Amino acid sequence: MEWLLRSDFDTLTTIALWSIAAVLATTVILFVYTVGLRLATISEGQRRRQFLDRWRDVFAMSMLGWASAARQPVPRVRRSDRIDLLEEWNRARSMVDGAAVDHLIELAHHAGIPELALRLLDSHRIQSKILAVQTIGHLRLSAQRDAVRILLDHENTALSITSASAIVDIDPDFGISIVVPMINERRDWPKTRVSVLLRQAGSARISEPMYRAIRAEDDEGKTYLLQFARLMESEILDALVGDLLRESNDPGVLNAALKLVSGFAGVPRIASLTQHDAWFVRMQAAKVLGRVGQEEHLSLLESLLDDREWWVRYRAAQAITSLPFLGPNDLRKLQLRQKDRYAADILQQSFAEAGLA
Amino acid sequence: MTLQEFVLAGQWIFLAYFVGINLGYLLQNVVAAHGIRRYLQTAEQYEAENVFSALDIPVSVVVPAYNESASIIQSVRAMLQLEYPQYELIVVNDGSSDDTLEKLIDAFDMREFPEAYRARVECAPVQGVYRSTRISNLRVVDKENGGSKADASNAGINMCRYPLVCVVDADSVLQPDSLRRVVRPFLEDPTTVAVGGTVRIANGCTVKQGFLEKIGLPSNFLALVQVVEYLRAFLFGRMGWSPINGLLIISGAFGLFHKETLVEAGGYNPKAVGEDMELVLRLHRLMKEKQRPYRITFVPDPVCWTDAPENLRDLKGQRVRWQHGLGQALMLNKSLITNPRGGAVTWVAIPFYMIFELFGPIIEVAGYLFIIICGIMGWLAWPEALIFLGLAIGLGVMLSTSAIMLEELSFHMYPRFKQLALLYLIAIVENFGFRQLTAIWRFQGLVRWLRGTEHKWETITRSASLAETRQIQLKK
Repeated sequence: MEWLLRSDFDTLTTIALWSIAAVLATTVILFVYTVGLRLATISEGQRRRQFLDRWRDVFAMSMLGWASAARQPVPRVRRSDRIDLLEEWNRARSMVDGAAVDHLIELAHHAGIPELALRLLDSHRIQSKILAVQTIGHLRLSAQRDAVRILLDHENTALSITSASAIVDIDPDFGISIVVPMINERRDWPKTRVSVLLRQAGSARISEPMYRAIRAEDDEGKTYLLQFARLMESEILDALVGDLLRESNDPGVLNAALKLVSGFAGVPRIASLTQHDAWFVRMQAAKVLGRVGQEEHLSLLESLLDDREWWVRYRAAQAITSLPFLGPNDLRKLQLRQKDRYAADILQQSFAEAGLA
Repeated sequence: MTLQEFVLAGQWIFLAYFVGINLGYLLQNVVAAHGIRRYLQTAEQYEAENVFSALDIPVSVVVPAYNESASIIQSVRAMLQLEYPQYELIVVNDGSSDDTLEKLIDAFDMREFPEAYRARVECAPVQGVYRSTRISNLRVVDKENGGSKADASNAGINMCRYPLVCVVDADSVLQPDSLRRVVRPFLEDPTTVAVGGTVRIANGCTVKQGFLEKIGLPSNFLALVQVVEYLRAFLFGRMGWSPINGLLIISGAFGLFHKETLVEAGGYNPKAVGEDMELVLRLHRLMKEKQRPYRITFVPDPVCWTDAPENLRDLKGQRVRWQHGLGQALMLNKSLITNPRGGAVTWVAIPFYMIFELFGPIIEVAGYLFIIICGIMGWLAWPEALIFLGLAIGLGVMLSTSAIMLEELSFHMYPRFKQLALLYLIAIVENFGFRQLTAIWRFQGLVRWLRGTEHKWETITRSASLAETRQIQLKK
């Protein structure tokens, strides 16, 4: 206790006084900064409204595909409007297709947008680089393909995936050939962005590279890439799914492949998967059998009605309910012969969902 | 120990507490400001994408409802309009004594349905499951009253079919894009097990069709103070803990969870007074015990607006309950406190919560008494006492000012200068009376927990603005 009493409280009071001064100064700075932010927001809003007033009609006419609009004199681009111009142009460009794209690109050249984008590409700010790369992609500036290619490997996710989209925009075949093998490595890329990128490239262009990439990957990589396989051409996809179901016993791959089954090929293998150790494989197999199953598969599905996993029971019940060769009376008889309460309950639910209860 | 020694020792304890708590808050402020800045930068990119696909994770939204007859239809209608590609809505009627269930059945053409659900977490018996004949993703669970929101939530969790579960208060007003915003951490990091978002005060706002039409500030003083309090609590309180994975609470009004982890943890604890905090602590405990990598994350986006108490009785009840719940939640998960592998939760967050949030009211109330007694006895050196009082108030104002700045920097929900001025005024005024009052209530809550008093549920009076708006909508 001695050390407490020996201490000098006057020193503390002095420190407290200085602290008050520091706290007051910080509070005032925070207050002024906040008010400044508010004023800046208001002023920024006004500037942006004026910008949109000047440019809205120009963009609209180009988007509607009026070729003449792209050749009209464009409003003067103020320094403070540059970022907005690029953002608005990219927004407009993302919304259109066909001839309007050409008109928007023509308008961009007219307004000096390529030069602005190239200048931004050298910026140190990631957001600026992203905007620049997006613009370059939308403008299809083939001379910048290699510059964009370098940014594809950037550690920043947003910049990297935007570069991937841009390179596909600039040179679709080349872009897809390098982007597809990267999809599994860059798991940080948002799946929605990857999906959009592949869809925009078109199923004809992506099918072969996707097929090769999936075949070349290990089980984990296959499982990941199969999430995007639905965008492939159906013939190639069916062949791939058939191969994977036949060759693989990995639960992840089987689960992903079963989700993609569309035809009747490989039904015996699918039926055998209703006995797989992994519950989600049994569940997917039951679901597929509900679509492609024959009479000989009924007993398999019935055996899943008392599975220890609710989802397996549920999908098996739904599958049985949807089998085309079973009428309402057959289904009721099937329910009556269930000795297991779980099986009877899940069938009851499935019948109710199908309006048979 | 002489009296003088006692007084001096007391001063040192108060000083140490004062320095500790304010340093902690300042540090949280810095971390939160950095976190919000980073979050907003990446959010821009996500906003630009704004693309939904089958790759988004489906969500089950669980809405526990007890005697919510006045607002349930409006709330459900609003929740059915959430901007999200695949979700189901499960309303749990927790044995309401009013006509909540009947209203739901009538409004949405509900029919009893033989749901073969899995009772994986504990709850009171379910009496029936109803399914809408018009809206395929809407179900209502009718159950016996379990005496707590936790019990009702558990019944809903048992009915969930999707991998993520979002538990929402029936009287909450949600942002239309709330699900999209809180699901983001799950997409970015597959080890995420729970996500919370910012809850704001709805008093003073205009609600139309269950959605917020106009954001305003309440005219009621207590509600107004809580607006600033919530800004502090969410924008730097929670945002400050999230980056070190030390978040100990996700508001019960809106939280998103990985269902399998939630079930593995046993769902909500029906006996917990603060079931939301208890669950998050249990999730931490489970993941630490299993030694699995995990994240419990907070997104600063305002996702949910809730009604704040507007009278002293309700506010006192709420604060006493929160403090009681805090103590109970920490004790129910005491193995987390002593887990040497507990990381930031064990070594930083829990000590901070125990010293400053749980036992803090003892120091604060003792401090007030100390000053009063010393003042009366003539032992107080007034100039020094006023300097320290000034510093305490100054720091309080500075922290609130910082929270207002973070709000302006990020979401600027209160766009008028008058609103900004009002918030600053409250940041000053709340230090004279309100803070002292809440310290006393928290002290009472602490005593209630230490004595093991059983908690009784109180009925909270709705704010006039919100309730009236909703009733007008219903009459129309």
